Amino acid sequence: MDRQPAGSTRRQFGQRAGLAMLGLVAVGCGGPAPAKPGQSDKVTGEIRMITPIFEGSDGAKVLSGLMADFTKQYPDVKIVPDYTTYAKLNEKLTTSLASGRPYDVMLMGVGWIPPFAAKGVLADLGESESALTSLYSERVVAPGVYDGKVYARPIMLDTRYGYYRKDLFKQAGLDPEKPPTTFAEIRDYARKLTVRDGSGKLTRAGIDILGIDLRQGFETLMWAAGGDLFTPDGKVAFNSPKAVSALQLMTDIIRTDKSEDFGFTEPGAATGVPIVQGRAAMMLGHNNTWQEFEQNAPNLVKDGQVGFFVVTGERPALFQGGTIGAVSAKSKQQAAAKEWVKYLASAQPSLRANQQRGNVPALKSLVSSEYVQKNPAVQFAMKNLDHAYSEGGVPAWLQIRGDFKAAIESALLGKTTPQQALDDLAKKAEAAIASGK
Amino acid sequence: MTGPMTTTAVRRTETAVAEAAPAKPPRRGRRLGWERRRAAVLMVAPAVILLTWWIGIPTIASLVLAFTHYDVLAGTISWAGLGNFRDIFADPIWNRSIWHTVVYTFFTVPVAMAIAVAIAVLLNSKLRGRAWYRAAYFLPHITATVAIALVWMWMFEPNIGLFNAVLGQVGIQGPAWLSDPAWAMPAVIVVSVWKGIGLKMLIYLAALQSIPPELYEAADVDGATPRRKFFAITLPLLRPATFFVFIVSLIDSFQVFEQVYVLTPDGGPANATTVMTLEIYRSAFGKFDMSRACAQSMVLFVFLLVLTVISRRLTGKDSDAEL
Repeated sequence: MDRQPAGSTRRQFGQRAGLAMLGLVAVGCGGPAPAKPGQSDKVTGEIRMITPIFEGSDGAKVLSGLMADFTKQYPDVKIVPDYTTYAKLNEKLTTSLASGRPYDVMLMGVGWIPPFAAKGVLADLGESESALTSLYSERVVAPGVYDGKVYARPIMLDTRYGYYRKDLFKQAGLDPEKPPTTFAEIRDYARKLTVRDGSGKLTRAGIDILGIDLRQGFETLMWAAGGDLFTPDGKVAFNSPKAVSALQLMTDIIRTDKSEDFGFTEPGAATGVPIVQGRAAMMLGHNNTWQEFEQNAPNLVKDGQVGFFVVTGERPALFQGGTIGAVSAKSKQQAAAKEWVKYLASAQPSLRANQQRGNVPALKSLVSSEYVQKNPAVQFAMKNLDHAYSEGGVPAWLQIRGDFKAAIESALLGKTTPQQALDDLAKKAEAAIASGK
Repeated sequence: MTGPMTTTAVRRTETAVAEAAPAKPPRRGRRLGWERRRAAVLMVAPAVILLTWWIGIPTIASLVLAFTHYDVLAGTISWAGLGNFRDIFADPIWNRSIWHTVVYTFFTVPVAMAIAVAIAVLLNSKLRGRAWYRAAYFLPHITATVAIALVWMWMFEPNIGLFNAVLGQVGIQGPAWLSDPAWAMPAVIVVSVWKGIGLKMLIYLAALQSIPPELYEAADVDGATPRRKFFAITLPLLRPATFFVFIVSLIDSFQVFEQVYVLTPDGGPANATTVMTLEIYRSAFGKFDMSRACAQSMVLFVFLLVLTVISRRLTGKDSDAEL
């Protein structure tokens, strides 16, 4: 006997299917829920951690060692790391939050805390800011604090400042012990250090300003020019005359002085770091560029041919980022997660992590460590932390920061003036801040 | 029944009945028994479930979210009406990304199809080592896009890359390719055309081999030139394949992401290679703005829908039956 579904049954099925779909959509939109009282305060359970700083086999080896040490102390805790890079961190965090299952522990960058804390994603660590500043550099404690509460502990710092090659200074008739101390000197020295072949092809950049993230390079110069990203009350300030003068300096180096060609280098290029290879005489670099020198030009290190300088305009300034550890407000294992973050930010674990990445320890007590004593780039950074500035500061920072690169590029390519580029960017930033997204 | 009918009379009768009252198709339930229908449902079910889960629900979710302010960090959602659409069309970068997608499609679809036809015709002839050539042309299609893009990045490298080294040999200083706004998009297009040729060529090759050789023999008898045979026989008979390749390539081009993302992760210098999918990705994962990304996805969806409908109207009617 044939059983034909009745029309009404079909309709009912359609209605049910539609409702089920809408239900699933609603579930998908769930997002993180606020922390529930009574979540486990026992140091037990499985912790999922997202980390952008232990990627690669060397990093994974260091983290495995740290996890093994931690679980000796807390045998009932299991840590499940998810390795990523800073380039992919946004993606992973977004999908975990959208799925309603955020990571228990999130290692993230300086500048990330206000957007996440303002939206209730992060758990208050219950720490005292003043207590932390007695242990860590104040510069890296502040980015973990939002609205008076501590949401993250510092694990490592990373800085950007000037590198120069003393041997190439000598070749160009410059005093190898006197790096540039003003914007005018930066331009002047760069012109003298630039080398082109008979056909006009650039063979050595006087200064490489493209070898690091363009936003971070611009910010370093902007702070040195006396500018800032935002006013203390959260308004856009990166199109102020001082900030514009920083972008003008970058544009002059490329377009007027031709001390570097756009596209000559880029961050993380597979072809290597130009200053290490002698294809650039100065650069705005990361403190871990020193590792590149040690690995690929040990003779320069041995002969003391690598020098550093703090970029100085109206004031000396270096860019300071860092990696900080936060705990999800939705984590069911908050006690274990907080202990794990505390452990990662303590002396030995943080030293091992910093050593592996060539970074700057955040703990004051590590200044005397053998690693710091043997690494002049890290020592230089630590010595100049008083001149350090960090990006971020407004909850909309993550919406804003991605637009910097294209704006800076348009000025460097002569498509817009520095003022136009930053004004256009400011309009977008103001809209993002106003929308409260 | 009054008596036996002749065969002719029976046929006449049947014809008359048929003309008087067109036969209704047998009811589905009668034609297929319950067992067979159940088997059919079971066989179709996995595909329906997968399509619903991976395409149906995300599409509906995107459509709903496009009209909301969905804060992925806070987990809050509120009605936005057409606000997201107004915002994206007021954004010059999004509008440029649409233009870039159109330019990219223009060069990667018709140009690549023309090249693929030419190669397919060549490889359909009695060429020595044609199996090797066929494999060589198809190889890029089955190689991971990321791996391909990385190799091309090396070739485009301005200081030590292959292209500038070759240009240097003839006294030309090559551009910075992926860092030069004038050359970044052409560089991405070259990679995409090269990667896409293999599949198009394979489809055309299969279509060429289905053309009856008698047609060419008759044309030979009539003294047709190879050029005449190509335009009068080959090209018209390739129409179903052309329609299929065109639609698939069009959709593929509008959805391009991998090669653009790997070759120019930030959308090229000053957004010179920012295409729609890259901008959607940046909205969702760079700016955590899911609603904006959903609105942009809906625009892309509508583009694809309209293009597909236009294509079907222009070329598809005759071809559908032959596909």
